[in-house]
Parts: sequence; C-alpha cells; structure tokens
Amino acid sequence: MNFLPLSFGAPMVLWGLLALPVIWWLLRLTPPRPQQETFPPLAILARIVKKEETPHQSPWWLTLLRLALAALVILALAAPVFNPREKIAVGGEALAIVMDNGWSSAPDWERRVATATRLINDAKESSVPVIVALTAEKPAQDIGPFDADTAIERLNAAEPRPVPTDRPATYARVADALADMPGATLAVLADGLAGPDDEAAFETLFSAELSDVLWVAPDRLPVVALSDSANEPERFVVTAVRREDEMGPRQVIAHASDERGRRIAETTITFGPGEARARGEMRVPFELRNDFASIGITGEDHAGALRMLDENARRRRVGLLSQHEADQAQPLLSPLYYIQRALGPYADLIRPSDPELTEAIPQLLEQKPAAIVMADVGTLPDSAREALVEWMRAGGTLIRFAGPRLAAADHDEELLPVRLREGERSLGGALSWSEPQSVDDFPAGGPFSDLTPPRDVTVSRQVLAEPSADIVERTWANLADGTPLVTGAARGDGRVILFHVTPEATWSSLPISGSFVEMLRRIVQLSRNQGSLAADQEEQSGRLPPYRMISATGTLVPPGPEAEPLQLAGDAPVTLANPPGLYGSEEGVVAHNLLAPDAQLTALSRPTAPVTMSEARYAFDQSQPLKGPLMAAALALLALDTLAVLWLGGLLQRRPTRRAASTASVLLATALAFSLLVPDNALAQDNPQPGDMEAIEAIAATRIAYVRTGISSVDAISRAGVQGLSRFLAEKTALEPGAPAALDIATDELSFYPLIYWPIDPNAEMPSEEAIARIDAYMQQGGTVLFDTRDQYSSGFGSSGSVSPETQRLRDILSGLNVPPLEPVPDDHVLTKAFYILSEFPGRYRGSDLWVEASAEAESRADRPVRTGDGVSPIMITANDLAGAWAVGSNGEPLLPTVPSDPMQRTYALRAGVNIMMYMLTGNYKSDQVHVPVLLERLGQ
Amino acid sequence: MARIGEVTTQVETRDALARARTRAALVPDLLVEARRVVNNVIAGWHGRRRRGIGENFWQFRPYVDGEAVARIDWRRSAREEDHIYVRDREWEAAHTVWLWADRSPSMLFRSSQADVSKESRALVLILALAELLSRSGERIAWPGLSDPFAARNGAERLAQQIAHAEPTTARPDLTVVRRFSDMVVAGDFLDSPEETMRWLDPLARVGARAHLIEVADPAEETFPYSGRTEFHDPETGERLTAGRAETLGEDYRRLYLARRETLSRWCKKLGWSYTVNHTDRLASEALIGVHTAMTSEMDVGR
Repeated sequence: MNFLPLSFGAPMVLWGLLALPVIWWLLRLTPPRPQQETFPPLAILARIVKKEETPHQSPWWLTLLRLALAALVILALAAPVFNPREKIAVGGEALAIVMDNGWSSAPDWERRVATATRLINDAKESSVPVIVALTAEKPAQDIGPFDADTAIERLNAAEPRPVPTDRPATYARVADALADMPGATLAVLADGLAGPDDEAAFETLFSAELSDVLWVAPDRLPVVALSDSANEPERFVVTAVRREDEMGPRQVIAHASDERGRRIAETTITFGPGEARARGEMRVPFELRNDFASIGITGEDHAGALRMLDENARRRRVGLLSQHEADQAQPLLSPLYYIQRALGPYADLIRPSDPELTEAIPQLLEQKPAAIVMADVGTLPDSAREALVEWMRAGGTLIRFAGPRLAAADHDEELLPVRLREGERSLGGALSWSEPQSVDDFPAGGPFSDLTPPRDVTVSRQVLAEPSADIVERTWANLADGTPLVTGAARGDGRVILFHVTPEATWSSLPISGSFVEMLRRIVQLSRNQGSLAADQEEQSGRLPPYRMISATGTLVPPGPEAEPLQLAGDAPVTLANPPGLYGSEEGVVAHNLLAPDAQLTALSRPTAPVTMSEARYAFDQSQPLKGPLMAAALALLALDTLAVLWLGGLLQRRPTRRAASTASVLLATALAFSLLVPDNALAQDNPQPGDMEAIEAIAATRIAYVRTGISSVDAISRAGVQGLSRFLAEKTALEPGAPAALDIATDELSFYPLIYWPIDPNAEMPSEEAIARIDAYMQQGGTVLFDTRDQYSSGFGSSGSVSPETQRLRDILSGLNVPPLEPVPDDHVLTKAFYILSEFPGRYRGSDLWVEASAEAESRADRPVRTGDGVSPIMITANDLAGAWAVGSNGEPLLPTVPSDPMQRTYALRAGVNIMMYMLTGNYKSDQVHVPVLLERLGQ
Repeated sequence: MARIGEVTTQVETRDALARARTRAALVPDLLVEARRVVNNVIAGWHGRRRRGIGENFWQFRPYVDGEAVARIDWRRSAREEDHIYVRDREWEAAHTVWLWADRSPSMLFRSSQADVSKESRALVLILALAELLSRSGERIAWPGLSDPFAARNGAERLAQQIAHAEPTTARPDLTVVRRFSDMVVAGDFLDSPEETMRWLDPLARVGARAHLIEVADPAEETFPYSGRTEFHDPETGERLTAGRAETLGEDYRRLYLARRETLSRWCKKLGWSYTVNHTDRLASEALIGVHTAMTSEMDVGR
C-alpha cells in the first residue's frame, strides 16, 4: 500500500473484500421481505393480481448500495490511516538532530517536535543511532546517541526555553559526537533567528564527516517581542521588534499589567511594511503608570512578549532636605510642606532622620533617590557636597529652592545652575516702586513649555541670576520682566534646577498654585532613579536571588531549579542560569529582560554545507485514522438503505394512523425525562427564621423596654409608666415611641431597645447568671439599663444605716455586672440639658439622686471595665420610682399619687423621663449645647 | 411497520350480548309488520295496533248487523240511546324471525381503522335484534341451533346457545325456514355473488323475507395497502404477494363494490333488504336500517 498514502492497521481484514461477490449474489436473490397482511377478500384480489408477483430480484441500485455498505465496513475494520506526509530520506549511518529550543520556538513548538519525531520514526525503520541536541539547553546535556524510542522520549521531554539559543556550544558537542559516527545524516531544526556566532558554529558542525544535511527552518517567524519600554513624562513608550525579513504590515496590541496581573492599559503597536521595529505609547495618568509591573503583547505566547518592569521604571524616590527647624505646631510655615503635598501622590518621599547635613545627605544618597529637593539650604559641608555632586553627575536631579540662606551663601558652581547675585530682590515693598511680578509664558524649549503658565501667581521676592551668555537657555521659567524664576542646567548625566523663590508662600504665591504641582511633577518625571533599593540590600554579595521567572510561554512562574542568583555587576546575559524575570525579593526587584533595548531579530540565513543539503518544513505528521469517517459513511449508507427499504415497502405512502399518538407519547416521555432532570428548586425558597416577625416588630418603631419581674403589680405599673412616658414623649417631642416592650431578660433579644427600665423588687426572682451576663453584654454594646429601686420613700425615714431589701437586691444584681464608677448626675451633665433643663430627676418620690457613670474628667477612660457606648452611660440607678410617676391609665389619668402630692412633681418626673430618652437617643450630642454661649461668643468675635 | 389488518379471537358472547343490549336499548321496540298473516298465528302479547284476537281493549265501534250478539258491550251501549256498541280487542300476533351470523374465520378480521372485528359486530347486531324481537314477543330462532321460541329473555338464550356452539364455516340449513318468516343474515358476503345467491336461494323459494347485513371492514373497502405486501386469506390459507399494492387499489375497489351492487340488486328484486355496516361506524346505524326494513310495509314481490 505504498502507492497511496494509506496504511492499514489490520490489513488481513481486507481479505473480507473477497466476500463481496457472494454478498452481491445473495442480495440479488433476496428481495426485501414483504409486509404480511391478513386479507379476507383475497378472492377478489386474486382476480386482478394474477400471477405476476413472484419473488423477484432487488432493484440493482439497492444491491449496489448494500455492496458499497459492506465494502465500507470491511475497509473500516481494516483500520486505514491516511498519512500524506512527505517522506524525508534518512540515508546516513546515523541521524543527528540539532534542534533550536530558544524562546522564539515556543509558539509552534509542537510542530517542531512533530517534525523531529517524524525524522526519528523514519530512522527507526533503519534502526540507526540518533543524536538529539537542543541548542538552548545547558552545554552538558546528554545528546546521545540513543536508539529511536529513547530519542523520542527525550524529544517529548524537551521544552522550549525562555532564553536565546547557544548554537556554538551545542554544535561543538554534536560535531564531537559525530566524529565517531561518519556518514551520518544531520538534521538542523533551526528556529530562524540568527545568533551571535552562527557562521563559526555551522562551520564546526559541518566539519564532521556527513552523508547529507537536512535543513529545516521556518519560512516565516511571526513572533513579535518587546525590546524596550520607557516611562516618559507624559506617556509610556513600548518598543517592539520582529524579524527583519518580515515585510508585511502588522498590528499587535501591547498591554500593561499591574502586580496582580490585571490589565490596566493597552496600546496598539503598528509595524509598517518593512519595519522591524515599532513603538506604541500608552497615554495614561502617571499614577497608573506607576502601577505597571509588566508589559506584554496580547496573543503572543513566548518569553519575548513579556517584559518585566522594576522599580527603575516606576515611582521615583525623592529626597527632601531642609535646614529649617521643624516646627510641628506650624506645619504650614515649614518650607517642605508644599513640596510634600505636591509630590506625595507621585513619588516616594524620603526624609533623613538626622537634620545634620553631613549625616542627612549620605543617608539620602544611600537610598539612591531620583531627585533631591533642597529647600533653602545655603552652604553644604564639603564631604556631603562631594557625595552630592557625584550623585548628581551620575544622573541625579537636584532641585533647589531659594531662601534667605541661599541668598546669603557663596556661589557654588556645581550645585547652582546659574550664578546668583548675593542678596535677594524685593518687589512691591514699601520702599520699592515696582509691583509684584507675574509669571511669563514658559520658554518654548524648556521642559515646562507645554504647561499652562500660572497667570495669578505673583512673585514679590526672588534671588537674581547674574546675566550670562547662556542664561536664556538655562531659564525654564521667567517673570514678566524677564528675570528667571526657574533655572536648570545639566551636570554630567544629571541636572540641577533652581527655583528662585522659597518653597513656601512667603516670597511668592507660586507654591500655593496648581502650577507648582505640575512643575515639580514634570521635573520628577524627568529624573531617573539612581539604582534600585534591592541592589543596595544585596550590595555585599552583588547577587540577587531569582524571584519570578518568565516561562517559555510568556507567563510568570516561580523560579525553576536551574535559575541562579543574578550577578548585578555588568550586564548579565540571559542564560538558563539567569532566565529572564524578576530577581530580588518582595521588597525590591530587578528586572532581567530577554531582549536588550537595541536588540534586532535577524533572520538566520541558510549556511552552505560541504555535502548535499535538502530542505524541509516544519509540519505536523498529519496521519489521520480513517476508521471513524469510513464507519460514519457506512452508517449513512445504512440509513439510506433503511429509507430505501421503507420506500420500497411503501411506508412513505401509507398514512400512519397512530403516528400522532406515538409522537405525543415520545413528547410526553421527553418532557417527563426533562422534568426529572430539572432539579426541584421549589425547595430553595428562603424560609423565614422563627423569631423574624418578633424582631421586625421590635425594630419597626423605637420602643422603650421594661424588665418583666414576674410580679404582676410591678409589671403593670412598669407598663403603664412606660406607656405614660411614651405618650408624653409623643406629645412634647419628635419621638413617637412604639408600644412598651416587656422583656424577659433571660430569653428575649435585648439589643433592639435603647433603654431598659428595670424596677427592682425583692420579691421577684433573682435573675439567673446567664440573664445577668446578657444584661452585661447589652450594656457593653451600648445599651442602657435604668435600675429603679423605688425605695426612696421607705428608706427616707432616718434608717440611714440599714439597707432596704430593694437596694440589697440591686447590689446582688450589680455584683454580677461590670459596673463602671458611678456618680450622681452632676450639674453640667448632658442629662440635665438633654431636652428640658432639670436640676433633679424626681419620680413618685423625690430626693434620690440619679446615678450615672462617672464622666470622663473624673476617671481616666482606659481602665473602665464597661465600654461607654457613644459616651452614653450604660447604667442609671434611681430610687424615685419613675414608672410610678409616669404611669397613666387608659384615659391618660395618673394611676398613683406622687409623694408629696404635687402635680408639678409628676411633670418633672415626665420631663426627667424625656431627658433620659433624649440622652439615650442622641448621646452626648446635646452636650455641645453646653458650649453654645462660648460658640456664640467666638462667632461674634 | 405496523400491519393494517389482524385476526382477532372469537368474541366473547356475553360481551357481545352486553353490547347488543346497549345497542338495542337505543332502538324502539321492534314492531315487525305482520303483513302476511295466517289464521293460525300463534298469539303473541304484542299489540298489532289493529283489531283482532287479543286480550286488550282496542276500540268501541257501532254494532253492525250480522255480528254476533255476544260481542255487544252492553254496558257501553246502555249509555247511548240509539247505538249499540261492540268492543273490539287489539290483535296480538307473533312472528318468527330467523337470525344467523357468519362466524367463519374471515369474520375475525379487524383492520387498524376499525374498532371491532367483523364477527363481533355481526354478533352484536344479531343479538341486538334478538333482544328487540324478544321484547316485542316475536319468536326467534337460529337455524341449526334452535327452534323458534318466544321468551322475554330470548337474546340471553340465543347467546347461550351460540356460546356453546362450535364456530363453523358451514352454511346453515335454510330449509327449516318456512313461509312468512323473516330471516336476518349478518356476514361479510365476500364469496362471489353467485355463491351467496345459491345458498340463500331456499329462502327465496319458500317465500321467506330475508334481511342481509353486510358487515364490512373499512380496510376491505378502501384497500389502504401499499408497497410490497403479501396477503393471505384466513379462511383458505392462500397467499398472494403484491409488488406494489397501491397499484391494485383501484381495480380491487371496483370489483369489491360490484359484488356488493350485485347482491344488493338481487335482494331488492326479491323484496329483501340489504344493509351495509362498516365496523368503524356504529352498530346502531345497521340496527336502525334493519329495523326500518322489517317494519316497513314492503310489498311482497310475487
């Protein structure tokens, strides 16, 4: 079966085709079985039918159909495989496969493996030894020779690497191995990208004694890799490269992700025809750009499409330096205040811990800031100055502000962009004719050229620059009269910038204008971080541990076993030991990226070999088993045959009478099955919890609660009392309480009620420990319990030494509670002013104090066992029988007389109740009223 | 592929009887017109709506000279001054109706379009007639099974006798049927008309009146078969294969209807009735048809 690209898994079955003639004979002889029908009037029928209907032969086309069906089944059972691959001759004594598995081979790695597998499979037939060498592996890899099966295993275990290929080393090893095996076939499976020493490498490789060479390289390599990224002042620029021989226009989308991998920006990079390098820019706010952690190309799944960013590309560190004595009391006058406010959102601000300049400057420089702001610093100590100048020349940006000290200092050639006149210039003073100057348009060539000049800013004092030849080009901003306001000059790789005014609003209104923020931002964006923090931490060793690696498919993975710490010194190449990714730790990382900014992807040209070189392409081994399709075709024929038999049998003409019924039953069965499948979600309704109704009722209105003691007379008075107070509240205040709530403190939910009135009766049952604990929790969570012993009358008659039973009971209860220190309501307590101004809180009796938690002035708050909820006393104790005074009957008439019988006392009692409720609901808000006279007095001032 | 026709089992006679009762209840009492009266009719208890020999009062009529004086109703006559009345009684007479249903295997056929088999329908019809006739006091009989008898529960008795009799293809012996009797024959009459005429000829000879009910299955009449079909006759066991049955339909229907037409015309000539009942229609339709035929004042053709 070599003339067709067909192979059979079970060729013996093909003998079954010999049975086809027999099948044909049988089929021709056997007509389709007739439908059997009983028919009583056969005699009548017989008169017309005569004898024509003898069993006759099947129609020829039906026979043909069935023969084809049988043939298809036989063929399918023989398991044919369609295998249209091109044969690659392996003529040599051995096969050496040299395969590139660098980063650019990742997208179509499967295809490359398939091609190599095919080669090895072909070699298997002639059972020659196979060498498998991968160019992006370590040089010490085991390259064989293997037998074919081992070689395939090794091939399947191989994977693309996120590093460039190292052809010279690998080729040298292969050449060594081939030296022992003359006459081998060499298959070079290249990835299509030129490496550094390709020519020499190929020369080495071809130096062995070869029989022939097979060259496999992709025609096109549609990978797009990121080579550079830059965080510019207004935008983020991404540079992408592709192979230089890619000519067609191409568009890719680059996206920026933050540290968690979320896409936060994207841009389109468009390659024009013939362009190998293209740029895209992301115009997103600076704050967002600071969050960029990596740049990737959407849809490209190789290591070159992911570029990590480290701290250097992101937030700048800005050091702040001032000689002003820090005065915490007047921060607005601190020279650094406005700078901090302006730069805080955009940069990491560093302040030295030591104000002494000799200490402070090295401290700052240690952090390798992008910029240092010096606010009115005059003369620097020499040691500090040297370090600063060195830092600046290495790329640092020094921002200086003028001030009295600077004006008084000597000129410093390095640290000032322009020569200054000594002393400052004052505009618009008492002894001056000139007016305060406004700011002119920013010079066109300067860094501020596209900012809007602040028209409302006036400058009343400044330091003046000596006129010089280059004063104009050094001027970044000047006043309306032409004198420079901001000057800047390059110093080595860095620059120095001077604001000719103070950083606070004394000399000019610039620091309080929006332009100040923009100008500082612009300057900071121009600056560059002078190294990374992580680098500092590891400075002793100069090595950074691998942190996150880029995999061959362009995703971030934990470092593998081969990754080694990155040598910071010099530009470490991207190798298997140092794969691309992030090095460092969580505190700080250094990005180690695959492509250098100036990288080019050059096409690998086909080398010339001393022996015959044939060429092949990467392709999948597209062997396709045909058993399934053949079986499907046979099934289709079978269906066709069934239809034909039905037609011959006349079913299609016959009107089925029961079809409707059967269709209905099928539909019914389907519906039944479906209804069985659909879960019964009627049960998923949320059932109301028991107690919900009570809870809703309890919180639908503000309700005053009282404790049910179990003694009916006490409870009735409590209820009537709370009812009376509620009426009075509704009448006099905006509060309209709901019906009184009788509480069983052992079981009912307490937290719904702001105030619980608890009449103490010695005959009532002592509450259980759990109930007391509930009350304690209620008080700690902000509730208030009003205890009423109602024994003022009985204890008022000289029995000062004895303790009434009610008081004794109260003591028993309180012993289980965390009671804060108490005091009688002082005169200036909120309770006395919450609604009415009251001096006492009488009930049926008068004379007993109302005890509340001692206020903050009396005790320190820290050691209180009971937390005071919103400053409201969690406990109130009285003996005046408040409920007795409040109690009213159904018609609003008082139930109990006051002692002494004084109508005003009842009114006062109700007012006391109103005050208590207001205190409960508004807390110490009313205490602000205490200060009203003072507030009014201040307002008057 | 579902078959159109099937051979059913013998119908349960009791079941047929119950259904017959239901049918019979729908038909008014069968009043067999006794036109051909002989003097020695056996008295039945069914009024003939005319004067004659009987027990029930029919009418008073004026005395006509020459009548027996004993027939004068003096009580009635005493109320009048100038007339003398005679009391007439209603004539009550019984009539013999022979009933027979074909129970041959071909009657067991039932197609998918029909509700019951032909045998079932024929028995129901016969039993319904038996019920009606018994109720009217007529004498009924099954040739070969029973002599004519009159009983209120005539249908039951007949059903019992049918249940005990072996189903047979044999034609009944029609020589027992006498003149002035009626005979109801329910069958499919699928034999050739000549054959049918031959075995019914004795009836015509003795001058009995016959009512033929052709019980036909709709499939037999419409011939809904198509495609390759093998037909077989349940009676003879003959087989016949039609390559494409649908092509035969037209010819077949023509022959089938011609047979019916022949029989029908022959019956008409003899003064008999010929009713066709399809098994997909109600039995009552045929019942009413036969009922009408039996009660009609049909002129005797000879």
